[in-house]
Amino acid sequence: MNNNEKVPVTILTGFLGSGKTTLLNRILTEEHGKRIAVIENEFGEVGIDQGLVINADEEVFEMSNGCICCTVRGDLIRVLGNLMKRRDKFDYVLVETTGLADPGPVAQTFFMDDEIGSEFALDGIVTLVDAAHIDQQLGRSDESTEQVAFADVIVLNKTDLVSSESIDELESRLREMNRMARLVRSERAKVPVETVLNLGAFDLDQALERRPTFLEPEYPFEWTGVYSLEPGRYELSLDDGPDPNMSLVAVMDQGTDDEALRDGAEWCVRRYAEPSKAIAPGDAIPAGEHVDLQLSAEGRKVFILEVDVPSKLGLYTQHTAEEFDIKLFNQGAQSKVPIPLEAERTWVAQHEHDDEVGSMAIERDGDVNMDLMNAWLSKLLAEKGIDIFRMKGFISVAGESRRFVFQGVHMLFDAQRDKEWGDTPRRNQLVFIGRNLDEEGMRRDFDACLN
Amino acid sequence: MSELTDITPKGALRKGWSGLVDDYAIACEWALGGDVLLVGDVLGGVRAFDGKSGKVIWHLTDIHDGALLTMRVHPDGALFATAGQDGYVVLWDCRDGKQVAGLRLGSGWVEHLSWSDSGSWLAATCSRDVFVMDAECAEVWRSKDHPSTVSAIAWSRDDEIAVACYGRVTFYDVVNGDLSQKLEWRGSLVSMILSPDGDIVACGSQDNSVHFWRRSTGQDSMMSGYPGKPSNLAFDHSGTLLATGGAETVTVWSFEGDGPEGTSPGHLELHTKPISSLAFAPRASRLASGARDGSVVAWALKSDGQGGPIGAALMTDRVSAVSWRPDGRALAAVDGQGGVCAWRVS
Repeated sequence: MNNNEKVPVTILTGFLGSGKTTLLNRILTEEHGKRIAVIENEFGEVGIDQGLVINADEEVFEMSNGCICCTVRGDLIRVLGNLMKRRDKFDYVLVETTGLADPGPVAQTFFMDDEIGSEFALDGIVTLVDAAHIDQQLGRSDESTEQVAFADVIVLNKTDLVSSESIDELESRLREMNRMARLVRSERAKVPVETVLNLGAFDLDQALERRPTFLEPEYPFEWTGVYSLEPGRYELSLDDGPDPNMSLVAVMDQGTDDEALRDGAEWCVRRYAEPSKAIAPGDAIPAGEHVDLQLSAEGRKVFILEVDVPSKLGLYTQHTAEEFDIKLFNQGAQSKVPIPLEAERTWVAQHEHDDEVGSMAIERDGDVNMDLMNAWLSKLLAEKGIDIFRMKGFISVAGESRRFVFQGVHMLFDAQRDKEWGDTPRRNQLVFIGRNLDEEGMRRDFDACLN
Repeated sequence: MSELTDITPKGALRKGWSGLVDDYAIACEWALGGDVLLVGDVLGGVRAFDGKSGKVIWHLTDIHDGALLTMRVHPDGALFATAGQDGYVVLWDCRDGKQVAGLRLGSGWVEHLSWSDSGSWLAATCSRDVFVMDAECAEVWRSKDHPSTVSAIAWSRDDEIAVACYGRVTFYDVVNGDLSQKLEWRGSLVSMILSPDGDIVACGSQDNSVHFWRRSTGQDSMMSGYPGKPSNLAFDHSGTLLATGGAETVTVWSFEGDGPEGTSPGHLELHTKPISSLAFAPRASRLASGARDGSVVAWALKSDGQGGPIGAALMTDRVSAVSWRPDGRALAAVDGQGGVCAWRVS
């Protein structure tokens, strides 16, 4: 049975009060045409008329060898084993865990148990995070840290209850812990269902098909401001700052919600990858282009922005507005009152966090010697497997026309040949999420595997 | 449906009859001395087929809310018990399918039922609890001291029951309620079978091994190297041969002499997907095995565990149960599409 015929399973984790039940009910309501089975923990409270709901005690079964990657969830094996005994299979299974659940055994159940693995495919791990409380929880409990570390999608919920600065800061902290996960902000767990279901996160082909990289982008800009503007000419004013120049992309018709900002950011990442055009003070900034503002002159510098039709203008700037005291004015207006921001957000860490759990990426051009790579990964997983929660990657193997893709959960490891490299540049990308990763050592060891 | 009647069995399996139930068939057992075959499906339907013709004699539907989980015929063949996700155990008359008695054990699933050899007692599990009832379905004893959901039960004597769960097998005297023995092993035990004399306890484990103990000597052993978990186990009538699943191959351990420690087991190879059901014929060294590929094979075994196929047939889906008629001269099997087949065995 290939993965397409298997019933997809999404795991919903998150601390008590993070909004799991709200999200579950939302999915059941929006996907009411589908046959969805929900396996809830004993404290779950989904309405029973919404589909098949099965309550299960969380029974974590360790194996006699003591290996943590062999630890599975006995309750899931039992319940799923029963669910597969239907002629009309379910379309989807949702597993809600308690806030204290370790996601490792849940995920491992789908790889360690051949019977479950032959009928069900783990689609993804979705972790809900209560924006108001996670900061304290991350410090205090291993479970919440591991739930973040294992996630394919992190839903940053209850963002209406905290300031936008602290959300930005929290987001950068979570992103540093898990660079593989997609981060979505929400209020009352209101996220589009397609952001949490049918992710194919454990299906290597599918995951790379949808996103050509396992890494969430690191944005080359730190700040976005959105202004609502009538047609006219505007002055962008900057004071002296830490650098003599600054990159910027101006986007017309920029939406103000989180999704729109993120879409804008994705688009601007690509603009930033293009060569920049130097703009001197007094000159106009063209929309949709990567520009480099020349800021070496002393005192405030002014650049011109022209708007033809009423529009929301988004500015994606290399540094924060604060650093250069960025302000926007109507050109020629009598009173110099800055135009208020419609929305703003910051994109990168404002300061380093010292979380034990973090993610690292190795990105290198060139070909890997498979024997050396195997030897290194076996040694790494044998010694550090307990501390490596998840890994994903693709590598270019010397003498192989096809790409190799792999993933792992603790010491479980799955590698396969993927598509032909063809004309695409051969390169390697490995992402690890784990506790106390020795980044420098791992990079050095990987480099030693290169031809 | 038409393809079900076109089965062309090979070898010792001679064409009998075929039928169909409403959903995934989970259990089939012979009743009334082999005159009737009872088949239960997951939706909670039970059909009684005439053992010779395959004609449906009576038919029950929706007897357990949620799902039917298990069905067991009383040793005298006249009564049968069913249990399901609704927490109920119900007794029925095999002749007409009329309900005789019932008991609700709790809100959890009732996954396992087992009659003692004399038929005096019926044991059932409900989540972490084990109940023993008399033949009228009245509770006589219960045990709540299991650390995880009970994964298997079996009678070691007529008044002593073995209970398997995570990390251990415990034995209880159901007359005085005492714990008589505890065998511990750190692992998730997913299946259990006892030798007919109750001395050998074999358990399939989640870590793809079979663990067994000899109660009389306290000796225990582990047989590892299975590619999957051995969910299906069967002992022959003499207690010499232990057949185990956990792979496409049936592995047969022989307890002859000093075995099976230090001996090589028999490997029965014919199925192309993992074994999903096993049953030894009564009073004979014949084994029937069913697999996820829909194949059913009858094997003749020697006392050292080696053997070969004597007949085979193909069903349409995963074989969920195989059952020998009490006289050993017919074999029935059911599958995941609700298919039912019975063959004469020569």
